[in-house]
Amino acid sequence: MNAIEIKDLSKSFRGMYAVDHLTMTVPQGAIYGFIGENGSGKSTTEKLICGHLVPDGGEIKLFGRDYTDPGVRVRVGALIENAGCFPGSSVYQNLMMQCINLGIQNADEEILRVLRIVRMEEHASLKFKSCSLGMKQRIGIAMALLGSPALLILDEPINGLDTDGMRMMREILVDITKTYGCTVLISSHLLGELEKIATHYGIIRQGKMIVEMSAEEMDARAQVFTSLKTAQMQKALALLSQKYADVREEDGYIRIYDVDNVEEIVSFLMENGQVVSEIKKNKIGLEEYYIELMSKQGGKHK
Amino acid sequence: MTKEIKFESPSFVQRIKSMLGVDLYRLFHTPLFYIFLAIAAIIPAMVSAMTMMPDQNGQTMEPLYSNAWQIMAASEPLYVIRTIADYANMNMVFIFGGIMVSIFIGHDYKSGYVKQLFTTHAKKQDYMISKSLTCALAMACMCITYLLGGVAGGFFAGYDWSVNVGSLILALLGKIIMSVGWASLFTFLNIIFRRYFGISVASSFFFGTGILIIGAAAIIEALGLPTYVLNLFLYGSSVNACLASNIGTLVVCILVSFAWAFIYNLAGTHILNKSDVY
Repeated sequence: MNAIEIKDLSKSFRGMYAVDHLTMTVPQGAIYGFIGENGSGKSTTEKLICGHLVPDGGEIKLFGRDYTDPGVRVRVGALIENAGCFPGSSVYQNLMMQCINLGIQNADEEILRVLRIVRMEEHASLKFKSCSLGMKQRIGIAMALLGSPALLILDEPINGLDTDGMRMMREILVDITKTYGCTVLISSHLLGELEKIATHYGIIRQGKMIVEMSAEEMDARAQVFTSLKTAQMQKALALLSQKYADVREEDGYIRIYDVDNVEEIVSFLMENGQVVSEIKKNKIGLEEYYIELMSKQGGKHK
Repeated sequence: MTKEIKFESPSFVQRIKSMLGVDLYRLFHTPLFYIFLAIAAIIPAMVSAMTMMPDQNGQTMEPLYSNAWQIMAASEPLYVIRTIADYANMNMVFIFGGIMVSIFIGHDYKSGYVKQLFTTHAKKQDYMISKSLTCALAMACMCITYLLGGVAGGFFAGYDWSVNVGSLILALLGKIIMSVGWASLFTFLNIIFRRYFGISVASSFFFGTGILIIGAAAIIEALGLPTYVLNLFLYGSSVNACLASNIGTLVVCILVSFAWAFIYNLAGTHILNKSDVY
């Protein structure tokens, strides 16, 4: 069963489509990295799933049920933009209100459990307004974790977290998917962080889904390339371009795509009187893949 | 392999119970509520005490009321105001109450807490009902502190205490019951203006004063038409709950208050369902 199934979803603001007939599938138990430029429609899609915005058209199903079904909604946790806490109330009071809302019986135990997960158990009595940005983000995550949700929707949750916070976040997400079978939809600009945990990816641009794939598919699609430096870069570039299909000069290096036979390249250049000063094999990561894809789509990442 | 997850739909009663639980928890844990309770108590005490103070020539001012219970309700339904005494009674609670409701609901949106509510099982209808009931309870509590403040003020001012106890109780009950309708109106106004906190407060204050009904009453009176038709409105029925109240007055208060509460809840739910949360 899929945790999220979206078909033909649209949302416009003042005649401009923020989400444009989007189709998206998030398998149950996945950590789905939702990627896109600023204003690409990630947050709008998440708000639509959370029921904060009214769609113009399309269909959203959560675990095979209509997304407005209270039975399924009670198992959704979210952190969208901010924690959604009352600044004048304490961390404990804010969490208690959400416990009451969710009808959690052992509220005190549950609050302690989620505060331990985000390592905030010593700050329960602190007023929310007195918390630092990183602490507020952790509280937001704790809020979303109350009642062991089946689906967790996180919009830029790593923002404001320090290195320890980011590691903690990775551990939490991996743990809840493994232990509780929770599905996570996470959007982030920190693709390097996302790459460490995501099992699936969806790349959105101008409100449309460009590509959806699993981490394995991403791995298979990831291009290999060899980067090198020589004393005469232009001459070497011309020589290599005659032999290989995709040769580019990028960031002060000559890059030969889809070729990782270093020995062959070095002997070819030596035969042609070029001395290689530096050479290494590379593999395109999520970030490079994303930039490449956006360039092909005519985005600003050229 | 994915784990099987069970989904149980909470019933309407369960949803309302949890939403009311949140709102009541918040109400009783916020200083705002206690500040407004104090305001409701201080205002009548202050109004009656002020009338006994000497003016700038050292003369004692003309007492505002002839009877202590007029601080709670006018002697008869006075839709048209001629003196401040015609206006300054327990109906003023609905003005402060309106402001309190605006701040209470405004904080839901300002803090982003409303997102947490609507992400989970809460329906827009639950939100309207729960907010209306919670704010009605808050206003009913304000009516009680107003009563206490008024009694204290009456003692201080040395007013006459003679009253038809039955009519007084019916009038007080009528005004307390009107809280349901008023709270629904203010919740509805705050739903409409949820993106504009200042306008929410101003609109609650404007409608809370009953100025539209007071204006309409002046026109109706000038035309020689019966003013009791104004009892169809919240302010009209609130005014009608006076020291000459009978059981009919209470029945009118119940019908009008609940009818408007129903209308405002229906309209508010419709607006919330058809529009984005923020």
